[in-house]
Amino acid sequence: MSWFAVAKKDFRDAVQSRALWALVTVFVVLSIVSTYAYVEAPALLGSTTAATFGGLLLFTVGLVGLFVPLAAIVVCYKSLAGERELGSIKLLLSLPTTRRRVFVGKVVGRAAVLAFGLGVGLLVGLGVGAALLGDLDAAAALLFVLITLAFAAVYATIVVGISAATGSTSRATTLALGFFVVFELLWDVIPMGILYVLEGFTIPSTMPDWLYPLLQLSPSSAYLSTVVALLPDLADASGTEPTQAGAGVEVAADAAEPFYASPEIGVLVLLAWVLVSLVIGLVLFDGTDL
Amino acid sequence: MAAIELEGLTKRYGDVVAVDGLDLTVEEGEIFGFLGPNGAGKSTTIDILLDFTRPTGGTASVLGHDAQSEGLAVRQRTGVLPDAYHVYDRLSGRRHVEFAIEMKGVDDDPDALLERVRVADAADRPAGGYSKGMRQRLVLAMALAGDPDLLVLDEPSTGLDPNGAREMREIIREENARGTTVFFSSHIMEQVEAVCDRVAIIDRGRLVAVDTIDGLRDATETGETLYVYVTALDEGVLERVRGLDGVGRAAIDEGRLRVTVDGVSKFAVLHAIDEIAPVQDFSVVESSLEDLFVRYTTEKQEVEA
Repeated sequence: MSWFAVAKKDFRDAVQSRALWALVTVFVVLSIVSTYAYVEAPALLGSTTAATFGGLLLFTVGLVGLFVPLAAIVVCYKSLAGERELGSIKLLLSLPTTRRRVFVGKVVGRAAVLAFGLGVGLLVGLGVGAALLGDLDAAAALLFVLITLAFAAVYATIVVGISAATGSTSRATTLALGFFVVFELLWDVIPMGILYVLEGFTIPSTMPDWLYPLLQLSPSSAYLSTVVALLPDLADASGTEPTQAGAGVEVAADAAEPFYASPEIGVLVLLAWVLVSLVIGLVLFDGTDL
Repeated sequence: MAAIELEGLTKRYGDVVAVDGLDLTVEEGEIFGFLGPNGAGKSTTIDILLDFTRPTGGTASVLGHDAQSEGLAVRQRTGVLPDAYHVYDRLSGRRHVEFAIEMKGVDDDPDALLERVRVADAADRPAGGYSKGMRQRLVLAMALAGDPDLLVLDEPSTGLDPNGAREMREIIREENARGTTVFFSSHIMEQVEAVCDRVAIIDRGRLVAVDTIDGLRDATETGETLYVYVTALDEGVLERVRGLDGVGRAAIDEGRLRVTVDGVSKFAVLHAIDEIAPVQDFSVVESSLEDLFVRYTTEKQEVEA
């Protein structure tokens, strides 16, 4: 299984890199600080609703939604473009393997690196949170961690796919940051803009059906919806005003909505991202001269 | 079955033709030298053999497998020292060789391989700190893993000192003695001459000669060059010398006559020159294959230009 050998080598290579450990450190610190802030803030602000473990998980979604895309870019943008730019890809592809296996090995290896860093940070953060709150929902925490690691794997696939599209690391950086800006920073605005134009330059009072699934195309929105879909109790338990959950939670409460407007669509969107990234990345990487 | 078979192989990059209708057969068991100046298309051809690059025309087959559609089968039996590669800076030399062994699915001893190419001392150091010559040896060790049927070496002597180049040639001979076909490229005739059974010379994407070393020597009219000092040398003398039987080319070079002898004895030519202008002294230089290589790859350009 040469893809496994590639993944293993990639992981081993990354473990020896300072960047990975910087990443783990940043996420652990971030996770402890924000957990502490979440737990202590309501009391300081004189809020009546106390912090709960379920609320902490939803709060963490917001943090992960920002950290994972950036971390995935850092960990994965060079995965294939960098090897092509330097020429180590020639060493790799001189061995009995195929471009497809190298691509898959890269996705698995980088996803493992990202999941490792994220996993350590999550366990520490949630552990500190549980200790501060004196409350722990182990089953929910486990499911949450699994969903989050899967989200990290989805992002690793997207960025490795982007890296497969080019032989220049600077172009890979541009493409990956462009993806981040469009699908993470601006995505709330873009569909609204389309709606605004379609409605004759006015914002309608009721939102059309297609707006919600379109908004879900942003991977981190889809991740939030997935968490809400698979951990429905969380949204209910976290009170009327969950910190980060926006549209997803409101819709979750209304079971009569059609499927595309329910949070389950998040799972589909994430799967679609994996599929699209794999296909585009493979076609481009397989068809090019190195 | 041929180890390597190229038929009409062509690679264009836009308007630039890197490889132009190359036909070439390398038999099993040979040490084959692929010679040409920088930019002649050697690396492009090798990149096609390894499926790093896709040809725009023609076919390439390696060990009976199509290089494009059956690349995996090709690389399973081929050891490669590529051109313009880069090692994994953070991984040690031993990890590199272990990785090659794992990818090839064989059970070679990494330390024995490193010993053979003489980088065993540095096996545990990150390869990023290796010198160019050490990297070259390390990648050769990766190529040798799994006892390949074919070795493809792109400029193997790059970065090696004379001793290292000699050791590289010894390894090539040892591998060949075990039945491995060796195909290697170089822009230096001397390296090819010392070890190859047959040589192909390629220039600007085209094959200009394929022969044994002796065959190449025989085929050339610049077999021997006479340098002759005469008492009085001017254009008139030169013209008359040019008209002599058996004189290939003649020129005035640093106050002496430079004459290539073609088909007759050197003595007869000297004697004839002596009758035109008395000979004071002379010397004979056997042309090296280096000269031949220079002629093949520069004179044709001049003619075409």
